[in-house]
Formats: sequence, structure tokens, C-alpha cells
Amino acid sequence: MAEPLQGTVIDKDATPASEKADAVSVAPPESPGSVWTRRIIILAFWAVVATLGLPHWIWTTSIYRAELPAEQMTRWSEGHACDLKYPIHVALETGSLPLDQLKAIAEKTENTLNLDNGQSLFSFQISALDDHHNATHERALTASMQQQSTSKAPSANLLSMTPTLELTHGPMDSIGTDNLVAFLVNELQQIFKDEQASITYLLRHSPFHAASKGFNLGTEATKAIEKRTTRAFKYSSTYHVTFSLFAASASPSAWDIEEALRQYIKPLLRQLSTVSDFQIDTQVQLFASFSPSIAGPQYDEATNSYKLLQSDLSGFINAAEWPLSPSIGSGPTLNMVLYIPGPGQTPLLLETGGNSWTIPQWGGVQILNPSEKQAGRLTTSDLEPVMLTFADQLISLLGVPNSPPSLAMRIASLKRERATSLILSASSTLGALNRLTRKLESIAIPPSVATSVDETISHLEQACSNLREGRYQLAFENARTAEAEAEKAFFEPSMVGQVYFPDEHKVAVYVPLLGPMAVPMIMSALKELKSFRQAKVKTS
Amino acid sequence: MAPLTSLFAFVALLFAFAIATHTSNWAVLVSTSRFWFNYRHLANVLSLYRTVKRLGIPDSQIILMLPDDMACNPRNSFPGTVFNDKSRLLDLYDDKGQGEQKGMGGIEVDYRGNEVTVENFIRLLTDRWPSSQPSSKRLMTDDRSNILIYMTGHGGNEFLKFQDAEEISSFDLADAFEQMWEKKRYHELLFMIDTCQANTMYPAFYTPNIIATGSSAKDQSSYSHHADQDVGVAVIDRWTYTNLEFLEARLNGTASDVRLGELFDYYTFDRVHSEAGVRYDLFPGGAEAARDRRILDFFGNVQGVEVDDGDAEDGSWREDLEKLKRFVEIAEAEEKRMAAKESPSEPASAQDGSIAEGRQKSGRPARDMAKGGESWLKQAVGVGSLLALGAAWVVIK
Repeated sequence: MAEPLQGTVIDKDATPASEKADAVSVAPPESPGSVWTRRIIILAFWAVVATLGLPHWIWTTSIYRAELPAEQMTRWSEGHACDLKYPIHVALETGSLPLDQLKAIAEKTENTLNLDNGQSLFSFQISALDDHHNATHERALTASMQQQSTSKAPSANLLSMTPTLELTHGPMDSIGTDNLVAFLVNELQQIFKDEQASITYLLRHSPFHAASKGFNLGTEATKAIEKRTTRAFKYSSTYHVTFSLFAASASPSAWDIEEALRQYIKPLLRQLSTVSDFQIDTQVQLFASFSPSIAGPQYDEATNSYKLLQSDLSGFINAAEWPLSPSIGSGPTLNMVLYIPGPGQTPLLLETGGNSWTIPQWGGVQILNPSEKQAGRLTTSDLEPVMLTFADQLISLLGVPNSPPSLAMRIASLKRERATSLILSASSTLGALNRLTRKLESIAIPPSVATSVDETISHLEQACSNLREGRYQLAFENARTAEAEAEKAFFEPSMVGQVYFPDEHKVAVYVPLLGPMAVPMIMSALKELKSFRQAKVKTS
Repeated sequence: MAPLTSLFAFVALLFAFAIATHTSNWAVLVSTSRFWFNYRHLANVLSLYRTVKRLGIPDSQIILMLPDDMACNPRNSFPGTVFNDKSRLLDLYDDKGQGEQKGMGGIEVDYRGNEVTVENFIRLLTDRWPSSQPSSKRLMTDDRSNILIYMTGHGGNEFLKFQDAEEISSFDLADAFEQMWEKKRYHELLFMIDTCQANTMYPAFYTPNIIATGSSAKDQSSYSHHADQDVGVAVIDRWTYTNLEFLEARLNGTASDVRLGELFDYYTFDRVHSEAGVRYDLFPGGAEAARDRRILDFFGNVQGVEVDDGDAEDGSWREDLEKLKRFVEIAEAEEKRMAAKESPSEPASAQDGSIAEGRQKSGRPARDMAKGGESWLKQAVGVGSLLALGAAWVVIK
């Protein structure tokens, strides 16, 4: 349709103009039909631009930004979404007391404990253990009460492998219920005091700090907790543990590490396997030399020994030459290093005494001065003290708290702490993601991020309610999933834009592209508008 | 009210970070130019690499980006070497040492050639990688990590060119640091850049805990230090040379206590021939606190160590472990019994109930497959199909 029209326009325009160019200075009036044709053509071009070009341009240059639940994310990151509480279920069990009396003791103990710190994080729920106890919550501690015939002051002993407090007391009529309750209250407070302190410390600098107001943290306790948290690795679902034997000379060239690990380390890691997975590697390196950047051992004549200076301990690991690179796969590596000094430098001692030290968030180092018979091979019994120290370093590097003196309780306490810190970390990641997506407007947000965020929030909510119900294993697992999902959302690989384009760049790109096309279109549109207006003025 | 609360939260956060110490050191060393005439940029970066390695940062915590390989360049009249001084005493590429003293050995390059791109650099900082990215090529830092970022190449006002093909702007860099800070990926960060108009790269930064320093002011060039007539090109830039001069002379070991302020004061106009700049205002405590930081807090891998207090606990530990062992034995016996009940024919595989167990199990499918292949039916099918194929071939022929 356009072609014949155009043809007529050219014909009508061209022939009269060339013939009468000299005679008349003004072109003959166009027929209204041809004027309208021209207008329609111009309009058609503009219509193409507006209906095809513009949407296409917007479509190809816009960035997909999935809708994120900003409000919920903010609620979590500001700590309003969950009121953290830690109910501690303690069951009283006895073979000697009647159930009524036991229940009375339980009730009194609970009241006294919760009266003392009604505002605090930890609330105690004490129940007398009978046959039909409900299994909906985990029991944090079982207090097993034994009555003895001789009357003496009550005493308590915490079992190390199970969360059980063995309590012995004299006959009820001689000791009295109140005294027993007071004793029990005191014991329970002592057991959970440190954990309460460390969770308070965790929450104090977080947006969830409102929950921790009830507990007063002394400076001494703060320092101790700070030291412990500095030392411990960040939580990971997998840890690699590398045991390395570095010998300065050619011997000992072997160690019975398999057997030693089986005896001393694996039982421990098995207990910790509810928190994380562990992968163990071992290696032996001979002729390991010191790094040139440390002073090295100094001979001390008084004791006829070599002393390693305190200032050298941090540079002791020869990072350039000792093959201590991290293990393949996800998760951090805990390095356990046993160093055997060469024959010319024995005995090698630390300036400060002791023979082992811990490098925070890296691992533990030990020095063993071998005896004559240990020269060739270190047997399991030679390795026993070494492994005990490693075990000690290992649990402190994994963040297991120092108290109470029961391993089972310490691991349970670790689980509560880790659940808390994972919730905090996931919430803070949500907040970071939320702020970031608002601040960087040109960054793409793929739908997978929105899915992960939803997942994070739902798991966080579950973790929170589990926590408040006292189901700590579940809370921990949910918090772990939430944290992993939050990390996945934040570190979404496609969320890397070449973010910043200066305006000059945009001009430089668009002008050569659009300029030649836009100029005639705009000029003709203007011209036509002008003539349209003039025509209107004339006719009116 | 809301901004006030968030300000309080922010101050509290700052305080929390300020009291905490760092536990690991990372270095990101980037050269952004290739080709022979840019020899000096690679020498710059390798010099810094040598320094941080010398001061104890392990290779696993150094991310080295080298766009070209000068040692193997056909124009190099000393093949297999890179020098940063015309004395050619120190081979940065493969330090074999001199006489008695052992050298530091070779270098570990994490990103080479075409991998040195703006995108990869931003990804490295923000840790946005597909899951296949090996961990040795990632910056796995946390809120207890101090990071040294050193960049060198050709740049201009608010940008640094990457490999003649693209450029990173100071705004991109600032946003990347913001993302790192939001995700708590650094404790403190020292940003160093040696390029023309280097000081224009850091005014755009807006995240706390950064100290930034550059070699030259706006509209100033950064100059090379000297050329080696036999190598044929300039071997090092002035500002980097000044840094090295200081670090080599003053930091002899991991015990030396030298402050950042002393290093910054060493950048005089006489030495650098341009106005080196430092930005302190992002750092909590400002210039005073920043200048008082130990150089080793960024260039070395020095953390506080804790000497264990003897064997005070050993006794109780031994007891605990003994008990643990018994516990594990009981649990294992129980498991064995259960396994025996469930499948009486199969011997229990859990010999030591350890982590090795998992590996043994994972090794099993391969054997099973081999076992499955022994069945006569499968073999008959295999022979049959071979015969059929052979027949078909003969027939068609």
C-alpha cells in the first residue's frame, strides 16, 4: 500500500517543481490527499517505534528482579521476628521417694529457678519422671536422686557421657524438702550459668539483644567468652581434620596414627557428629625446616635445652614449604601438627613452658622430644599424650564450651549455641541481601534467590518455634538449613552485574546507533506538526 | 527515629568489630596488563607476592592474578625469570636462593591469562561463584580476616584498565566492597593501587574499616623506577619499589613491629615522583588508629597464639576418653547385633565404626557392578548381540 502512494507523492512533487522552479518561488499547493498520505507515513514510522522498538528496547535492557519478601526479611534482620527463649527440661527421677513428694520438689524447684530470672533467656521446666512422661521435648538433664540412710549434706555428681546428675541426699525427714530444693536450684544454676553467659554474649551485639537483657555479663566472663569465640572455627557442616607429623630430620618416619586416632580421636568425633561431619587426613613430612622469618630455637645453657621464643610461635608454621594447604571439598580444615625436632636441637621447649599451642581458627601445634627408642617409629602409647592434647585442642577449636564438666552436656550446650548463632547469621544475611538489592538497583535478582529466601524464612520460623519448645536438635537442624539457604541466596552466582555504567558511556553507545534514525524522524514530525498548525490557523 | 536506631545499631556493630581481633590474613594481588612492555606490572605484583609469602601468608590465602607470563615470553633474554631490579639478584619467578640460603621456590598463580577479567575479580571479592569453582580460587574470608588488596596496571580517572579490553571503575569496586562488608567478609582491608591517577580509585569507597593508598594524585602519572638494559624494559614502578624498599629493610621477620604510618610516611615525592595518597576516614579511629596498625596485620599472617596451659586437664580427659571408648564399643556392638539380625547372611561391615567406614561403603558399588556382570544371562545377551551385528555386516556387504 505504501509504494503506490509514495510514487504519487514523488510524481506530484517532482514534476511541477522542476518545471516551474524559475518561474515561481513557491511550490504549488499540495493536494490534501498527498498531505494526509505523508502524515500517515510519518505516523506509521512513529507507530513502529512506539509499539515495537520501545517495548523491545525496554524488554532487552531491563533486568529481572524477583520480588523479595522485604518486610519479613527486615523483621528477621532487625530481630523482631523471633523472641528467643531457651526452655530447659529437667526430669527428676528417684527410686526412693513417693511420686507426690517428687512432684512437690519439682514444682518448688521450678518456681524458685524461674522466680530468680523470670526475664532471662533460660526458663526451667522441672518435672517428676513417671511412667507416662510426654516425649514431645528433649530432656536437657535428668537428675537422679538417691536416698541414703546416713544423714549427710546432699552432694551431686555430673556424669560425663550422659546428661545425668547423680544426686545423693540423706533421709527426707532429716534434710527437709526446702534444703533439698535449695541445693538442687543451686546445682542447676551452676550447670547452666556459663551457657547462659555465652548465649547472652552472642545475642548482645546482635539485633536480637532485647532477649538477653535479663542476664548481667561481667567483664571477666566477657573476656573468657571472647577468647573462646576467637579461637573457635565458624560453624560448618563439614570439617576436615588433618593430622601432620613434621620431623626435622629423617626420623621418626612413621607413626601408628590409625590406631591412635581410633582410640583417642574418633570416639570424640563420633559424639560430635550430630553437629558436623568430620573427614580425617594424615600425613608425614620429613626434613621439615623452619621458616626463614623466625629467629628459631635459642640454646639455653642453664637447662641444656633449646627454647622457642614466644614471638616465634605465630610464625612457627612454615606456610611456604609445609604442605598444609586446605583439603579439597567444602568446609574448613583443622590442622593438627606434631613437630619432632632434629637430633641437634633436642630437647626443644617453649620459652613460656608447655609444649603445645593453639592457633585460633587454624589448628593446634605440638612439639614432641622423642626418646632414643622412639627414634624410628612412634607407637600408639607414645602418641597417647599427643592425642589427648590434640583432642583437647580439637574441642576448643570446634567451639565446645569448657563447662559443665560433662561432655554430653557440653555438646548439648554447643548445639544450642550453634543453633543460636546460625539463626543470627541467617537473619543478618537476609538483612544484608535486602539492603543490597535495594541499594544496587541495577543488580539482577533471579527467581532462585526468591525461592531460597522463602526457604530461609520458613526454616528460620521453624527453628525459632523448635527452640522455644525446647527441641534443640530439630532447631539446630532447621537453623543449619536456613543458614545454608541464606548463603545460597546471597552468593547466587548470577547476581554479578557490571554494575556501574557512567552516563557518558550510555551516550556513546546510543548516539551512533539511534542518531541517524532519530534525526529525520524527529525533524519530519516537527515540520509536519508545524504545517498542521499553520493549516489550522489559516482555515480558522 | 528509625535512622537513629539504625545508627545506634551501627555503632554497636562497629564496637563489636573493633574489639575483635583478626584470625587470618588474605592477600589479593592483581596485575591487570599483559604484553612484554608491561613487564614491570607483573614484576610489581610478584614482588608483593614474595613479600607477603615471606611474612607468612600461605599460598592458599594468596590470590594471585597474572594476565601474562613474562618468564616464558620469547622476548625475555633471561628465560624463566622475572626480575624487579637491574641487579638481577632476586628471581621473583623461581627463587632458588643464593648459596646457603634456601629460596622461596616458585609461584602459584590462581588466575592467569584470560581469566583476569573484571567479572572474575568482582566475583572473587563478592564470592559469587558457581559451585564448581575450586576453593583454591576463592576468597574464603570472614569477619575475622584482614585482606590486603594490591592492584597495578594502566588506569585513569576513576578507572583501572583490565587487559586492554575492559575496565573496572571505582564505583564498581566500591559496590563490591560494600557487598563484602554487608556479608561480613572482612575485618579490615588495606587497598593499595599503583597506576596513573591511582588516588582517584578510592574516593568512591563508602564502607568502613578500609585503609586505601594510591601512588599518584589526579592528573598525575605513576612512573617506573628504572629499566634494565638487558631485559630491555622497565622492571618496576616507583611507588611499588618504594614500598618494597621499606618492607625489605624494616620487616625482617614475623616478630618485627613496624606500623603502617611509618610506611605511609616513606612515600615522599622525592622517592615516588608523584603525590602518593592515603585515605583514613573510613577506618574507625581515623588516621591515628590506621597509622598505628601493624604492617604485619596486613602483610603477614600473624595472629595471637595461645600456649596451652600444660597438662592440667589430662587426667580427667583420659578418663573421659576411656569412657567414650567404652561407649562407642557398646554402640558398635549394638549396631552389629542389629545388622546381624536384619541380614544374617551378610557379615557386618562396621569393623571400627569410624569415618573410614563411609569410604568403604562408597567403594562397594564398583564391586557390585563387576559382580552383576558375571551373570550368564548377560554374557549370553552380549555374545548374541555381537553375533547379530557380525551377521548384519556380512549380509549387507
